[in-house]
Amino acid sequence: MKPLHILFWLACATPLLALIPSNQDPATTDWPKEVERACTAKRYGLRLAASKAVAAGGGAAVPAIRAFAGQRGKNELPQALVDAIVDQDTTDGPVLDLLTEWAKDRDFYWRAQAMKGLARRAPRLPDRHATLAPLFAAHHDDPAWLTRVHARLGTALLGTTPGTVDPLTLPETDPRATSKLCALLLQNGKVPPLQPLFDALLDERTFQGFPWGQQRAGEAAKALRTWLGEDLPTQDGQSEPDKTAMITAMLANASRKSGQRLAPPTPLVDVAVPFTGVIEILSCRNGDLHLQWTAAGDLHAGIDATSAGRVPAPVWDELSRRRATLELGSSHGVVICDKMRLHWHEPAVNANVAPASLPAPAANWLERLAQALEQADQPRLAEALRAGLEQFAAR
Amino acid sequence: MSLLRLPLLLSLLALPGDDPIKTSFAVLAGFDYQEGMSLPKEVTDLDEKIVTISGFMQREIPGSGPVDTFLLINDACGCNGTPKMHEIVFCTLPAGVTMEIKAGVVHVAGKLYVGEEKEDGVVVMLYQMDADVVK
Repeated sequence: MKPLHILFWLACATPLLALIPSNQDPATTDWPKEVERACTAKRYGLRLAASKAVAAGGGAAVPAIRAFAGQRGKNELPQALVDAIVDQDTTDGPVLDLLTEWAKDRDFYWRAQAMKGLARRAPRLPDRHATLAPLFAAHHDDPAWLTRVHARLGTALLGTTPGTVDPLTLPETDPRATSKLCALLLQNGKVPPLQPLFDALLDERTFQGFPWGQQRAGEAAKALRTWLGEDLPTQDGQSEPDKTAMITAMLANASRKSGQRLAPPTPLVDVAVPFTGVIEILSCRNGDLHLQWTAAGDLHAGIDATSAGRVPAPVWDELSRRRATLELGSSHGVVICDKMRLHWHEPAVNANVAPASLPAPAANWLERLAQALEQADQPRLAEALRAGLEQFAAR
Repeated sequence: MSLLRLPLLLSLLALPGDDPIKTSFAVLAGFDYQEGMSLPKEVTDLDEKIVTISGFMQREIPGSGPVDTFLLINDACGCNGTPKMHEIVFCTLPAGVTMEIKAGVVHVAGKLYVGEEKEDGVVVMLYQMDADVVK
């Protein structure tokens, strides 16, 4: 063969080399070993790297994931692995089937993430629209806020048709959900109403020290910055001299680009209430519950501490006396995802509780509190608390 | 060593003039991290400085009982996805000290080390801290 011919064939073959995976061959990779590493390696970074490798394997790695979940339990699969699969673009059938099973499984810790994986891929899956559309619709009002956001995202990305509900018009009480859905839509190429994102930019609210307002501000800023291609002030909790001017400029640009009429945001700050106790339930299964109270029995619900009435004084006094006798350690059970936190003063208690691990005296007290919530005309709060009890009370 | 003795020991360890620099995950995680990249100056400026930072304690491996190391992360519920490498401070308590994972937001102070640390060719840590105070 002449050198010229060799060069010719090399030139033809070079682009094809790019199609060969550089790191591993899915057909020969030891997937059980990779999955084991993704789930059990002692170093977080090693688990993360292995998770990405497994996710990149697409459908070839799924049997090993199923085998691990079958042997150890589905909730032994770490969020990092599920997130890595969600963030991949593969539409391999076995991956889609796995994500669908997970998204439907209320007892799977990472079902919200699985729903996101389906939502992101949905526009590229015309042959699955008939099954995905009803799946998304069925979870529009899921009690877990992240699940319903991702379900609404899926419907919005599929595109609403006559007779289907526009997910952006659905009622929403959790401020995190409103801005996250808009941010996700922007990230996925759809321009939603932008006002919720601008409203989030000056959110400084906290929950028991957790700066959730700053987090949604940062998320909104990032989504807007990417969409507009301009810089926004960093949302680090520090006032910056030009912050107002920057937001004003962003509003003008966003209005022009989107054709939407946008109002400047107003600062959102914590309510000035001296809370003396809190119950926080973070549950991918049943949804979150945030309940804070004052010494006098004033209740505030939600992560944004909306006023929720007052428990009658005699009932509250009796509840307070019983609460003072509860003995709780700093942790009960092994928390992986869902958890309950009980925190109050006099006596000082700050306890993390895993599902099925709440001691009976505390569970009995929470049931009594649920009855008090009903007396305070808060049946939905009582129902949410009982759902938490059902999940967290020791069996 | 009991948790109750920890603050006392740690206050003794603090050196006069070492005013901690208050930082946050907005600084440490305020950029898109790629392995091998040059880190922003505002981050590298914190290398080997005494800092304070707030976040949530998490075990590196699920389990129970006291720990002598923990991850400090910025999210209580994983709602914003798996923490990326620049969204985690790997904290180590002083030798012989253990403590329970605390619920809710904690404030940690100690010397911060900035830079990639690899194991088996994989970045396993970007931020490490000798956590002298956890409260």
